[in-house]
Parts: sequence; structure tokens; C-alpha cells
Amino acid sequence: MTFWEAITMAWKDIMRAKMRSFLTMLGVIIGIFSVISLVTLGEGMKGFMYEQIDKFGTGPTYMEVHGGKEGQLAAMATVKMTLSDAKAIEDRCPSLELVDPRNIQSGKITYLDKSYTSPFISGCSPALMEMMNWGVSQGRFLSDVDVLGRKKVVVLGQDLARKLFGGFPAIGEKVRINGSKFLVIGLFKKKGSIMGVNMDEYVAIPVTAAEDVFDTDKLAEIGAVARSIELVPQAVAEIKTVMAERHGKEDIRVDTMENSMAIMDTIMSALTAIVTGIAAISLLVGGIGIMNIMLVAVNERVREIGVRKAIGAKKRDILVQFLTESVIISLLGGVIGISSGVGLASFIMVIIGMPLVVSFWAILLATFVATFVGVVSGVYPAMRAAALDPVEALRYE
Amino acid sequence: MSRIVKVEDLHRTYILGKVEVPALRGLSFEVTKGEFVSITGPSGCGKSTLMHLIGCLDHPDSGTVYLDDINVSKLNDNQLAEIRNKKIGFVFQTFNLLPRLSAIENVELPLIYGFFTPRQMKEKSMAVLEKVGLAHRAEHRPPEMSGGERQRVAIARALVVEPSIILADEPTGNLDSKSSEEIMAIFQGLNNEGATIIMVTHEHDIANCTKRNINLKDGQVLADQPVKQVCLPADRS
Repeated sequence: MTFWEAITMAWKDIMRAKMRSFLTMLGVIIGIFSVISLVTLGEGMKGFMYEQIDKFGTGPTYMEVHGGKEGQLAAMATVKMTLSDAKAIEDRCPSLELVDPRNIQSGKITYLDKSYTSPFISGCSPALMEMMNWGVSQGRFLSDVDVLGRKKVVVLGQDLARKLFGGFPAIGEKVRINGSKFLVIGLFKKKGSIMGVNMDEYVAIPVTAAEDVFDTDKLAEIGAVARSIELVPQAVAEIKTVMAERHGKEDIRVDTMENSMAIMDTIMSALTAIVTGIAAISLLVGGIGIMNIMLVAVNERVREIGVRKAIGAKKRDILVQFLTESVIISLLGGVIGISSGVGLASFIMVIIGMPLVVSFWAILLATFVATFVGVVSGVYPAMRAAALDPVEALRYE
Repeated sequence: MSRIVKVEDLHRTYILGKVEVPALRGLSFEVTKGEFVSITGPSGCGKSTLMHLIGCLDHPDSGTVYLDDINVSKLNDNQLAEIRNKKIGFVFQTFNLLPRLSAIENVELPLIYGFFTPRQMKEKSMAVLEKVGLAHRAEHRPPEMSGGERQRVAIARALVVEPSIILADEPTGNLDSKSSEEIMAIFQGLNNEGATIIMVTHEHDIANCTKRNINLKDGQVLADQPVKQVCLPADRS
């Protein structure tokens, strides 16, 4: 019996009982479907995150210094970093190219009768512009003079400017931030949303002016850029040394882009592990289902097996016949699972506008697993069929 | 005349529960090419057991079976399967066709376990179906056919491998008298063309259509004698 004959034979038998075959496949379909759809969604999400980070414009040399230990939320940290800390980092860390101290608070920004509460009024330095790969569309950005002179000047995002000024020119006008008057000196270029934050509602003022208007010299974070990717670990070490010296202990952490990526990867792997666990259970149940149905099929066809043996089928031929059938059932379930999984993920990705990344390896692995399940669950029934005594089998009613 | 089957001092005992039931007790005979032998005897005389042993479906406890001068008693399961595939054509009382397959697919079945191209399989199967007068029913499935037609498909399936011997186990046992006559006419026709046939039956009329009768009793040969053959008209309409 050739391989092809075995396949056509098995295919005919499967197609003769379509409903039963489909129900038998269901466990495998669900298992493969859940893995493929979630892996595809996860990959898409990851692609989206990378895209966002890219859009942020900072590149892989960017890092942020936050108060608190690794894994602690920045907002929960009680550690106080000040402008002089930032200055020390800038002076004593040769691996760093740029340092940007940030004093960020939410606040109310008012023009005439219009007011708007912005969650991110950011006291920062001129270095921000270079770090973020941004740019101003009108006017100018903050200068060193503005920072040193504690000048009350402000650069606004496009959307915020439109909300406050409508179509009228904003530059040269004065707005109130938490009651203090600020001169609008520039407008940012349009940037869009990043990670759900509308960058076109950004408000930038000199970090020194922020100290005055927020009445605190505690920095939310210090942004920094290393001179090269290779120097990132060294820069981190330098920052830690400087801060430990100044604070008497290591009470800050440095979040590099690499770190963020690693955290994302950790989340992804955890998610994948959970899904894989669910899928494994589903595939186990699916495999038992296939084995069960194959045992029924063997019992139904005892007479047929007797006839086949009488006319010359060897043990191996009978084994191959039933094994092929279980593998095809499982593999077909796998194919249905893969295509519906990819289908669902694509649909979701199109709806929420994320990039579609179909993992070739996940599909290959799923195909392999489906085949494996088919073989494992088919072996026992097929061996039972092959071992039947032809005389007994022919007598079987 | 060349010898097709030779059985020598065959013994076969079944164990039913704790009781030993001897089915064959030292049985010997020979069949040469072109013979048409009927094997008769009361139930339990060992007819079926003998057929299973000649048909390479079972091993004797002692004694030997030669098929085309090959001692098949010494072969393993795989070798026996190959002998069954190449040298033996079975015809059963209950036809034993696969109901899901069409007539021609049923006939092709033994060829699947040999080495033939799909084209060869189709041609050979069609030729034997024509021989039993069922070429026009090739695409019908067994449930759509009469008993006589089904048995003709079964005969075609036995013939398709061009076996050395045809073993028929009560081939008319499930058929009415008209169909039985048709089937026997086909066997006689095949025998006239040179086929060697051994047929188990308990009907005298059927045994009388053969050329030699071996009568068994209690697992031994009671009588072995030529038969004055009743020839049936070879009407295959």
C-alpha cells in the first residue's frame, strides 16, 4: 500500500462521517485556535509597542532615571531627586550626551474664559527637543537662558493651542498656569498619540519656572541619552554611582529602552505560557477524543479488518491505515485551528489598527503538534486493529 | 499435473474455556492444478478450520500445508499475508464486501496491498468484473445490489490477483436457488478455463457441481472420491 493510497483511503473514511470527524477534531481545533490567535495578537501588540517607541523618537540610547527600586511605580516613590542631582549627573557621567530634568505635574491652563486641565505640564530643559526628535512648527523652543532666568514662557502642543486660541495666533499671547502668567513662545509640531497619551496636548515650561509655579523642586524623572548603544550599561552604572554618592544609598533606578523591551517580553512570555497551558489541556482532551473515536472505529470495522487481512493486508498496512486516519483528523483540526486563529487575530488587528504579524514558527509548531497528537492518540487503536486475528475478525458479528 | 495444495497429517485443536476441542485430527490430501474439489461433512467436522489453514489465515498445531510447494506452516505473519495476497482468492458465505466502497473499489482492494499503478488496478478490476458479467454495475455499492450480484463481485475480487487457488467457504449459503445456480455456473466456467477451486459446502446439489468430493468427519477424511459432475448452463445474462 502506498502512502498516497493510505491517505485517500483515510480521507474517504473521514468524509463519510463528516459530523463525527468534525466533533472529533474540535478539541484540537480549540487548542490550536487559542494558541495561534493569542500568539498572533501578542506579536501584533509587540509590533505596535515597538512602533510606538520608534514614534517616541528617542531610540535605544534613551533612558529615564526614576526614584524608587526596580519594579516600583515611579509615582509611589518617596525619593526626592532635584535639579542639582540632574546637574551632577550631567557633569559627572561622561557616557551621557544629554540630560533633561523633568518636573511634571498636572495643572490648569487658562486663556481668557477658556481653561483646560492638562495631566502633563512638564518642566524641562532645552535638551528635551533633541531627545525626543520633535520640533516646533512656530516660534521657538525653550532656551538655556529661559531655564537659567526662571522665565515664565511656555511651548504648547497643537491641539491644546487650538482648544485655547481657536484659529487665532497663539504666539505672543499670555496664558495662566496655576494662576501664573506665561508667555507662549512656540508651538510643537504635530506628533499624534503615543501609548494613549495625546502628545499634541503637551505643555513645556522651563524646569526652573516649574519649581516656582508647582511650589516643589522634586523631579518626576530625569531623561538622559547615552553617547552610543554600547555605552548604555556604562552610563547606567555612572548614574547609579553619582546618585548613590549624593543620596548615601542606591535609591533610584534607571529604566533603559532595553529594560522596557525586556519587561514587555516578560509579560509576553507569561501570557504565552498561560495560553500554552490552556492549549496543552485542550490538546490532551482532543487527543483522548481522537483515541476514543479511533477505538470505536476499530470496533466498527473488525469485520473489514478481517477481510483486508484475508486478502493480503499485512499488520503494517492495517496500522498505517488507522494511524493515517487519526493523523489526518488531527492535522485537519490543526489547519482549521490555525486558519480560524489567524483569521480572528487579523480581524481584531484590522479593527484596532495594529500591525498584523503572523508568526511562521507558531504555525509550523502548531502543525507539528497537531500531527504529534494524531500519532500519539492513533497508535494504540491502530495497534489493536493490526493485532486482530484474521479468523476471529472474519467471524465477528 | 502440478500440485497446488498438499496437506499432511494436519492437527488443530481449539480450547473453548477449559475444554479442548479437536477440530482436525491427522488430515492429509493433495489437490492438483485444475481440480474442482468440494469439501463436505456435518457441522463441527473441521471444514472451516481446514479452509483457514489452507488459506494461510491460521497455523496448524502440527502437520504441514504446502501451497505451490511452499511449506506455509513455517512462514511468519507477514509472509503469510503476502501468500494470501498473491496466491489465494477467498470467496465467503457472507460475501464480506466493504459496503462503503463501490463494486470496482472492492475488487481493487487486494491490489492495493500489492504493487500496482492506479491504472493497472482499474484495468485488472474492470476485466474481472466483465468476466463475472458486472461491468455495468462497477460504480454501484454492495447495498444497492442483489445477493447474487454481491457474490459475483466477491468472486471478481478473488480473481483479480490471478490466484493459484480459489477457496470458497459456502459461497451459496446465503443465496436463493436461482442465484446459487448462477454462482456455480461461474465457478464451473472458471474451472473449465483452468482455475483450481476448493469449495466448502453442506449442500449435495452444490457438491454435485464439482468434480471431486472430500467428505470429512470428526477432523478426518471419511471419503475422497470423484463426482459425476452436473454441468450447469453458463448463462450470465
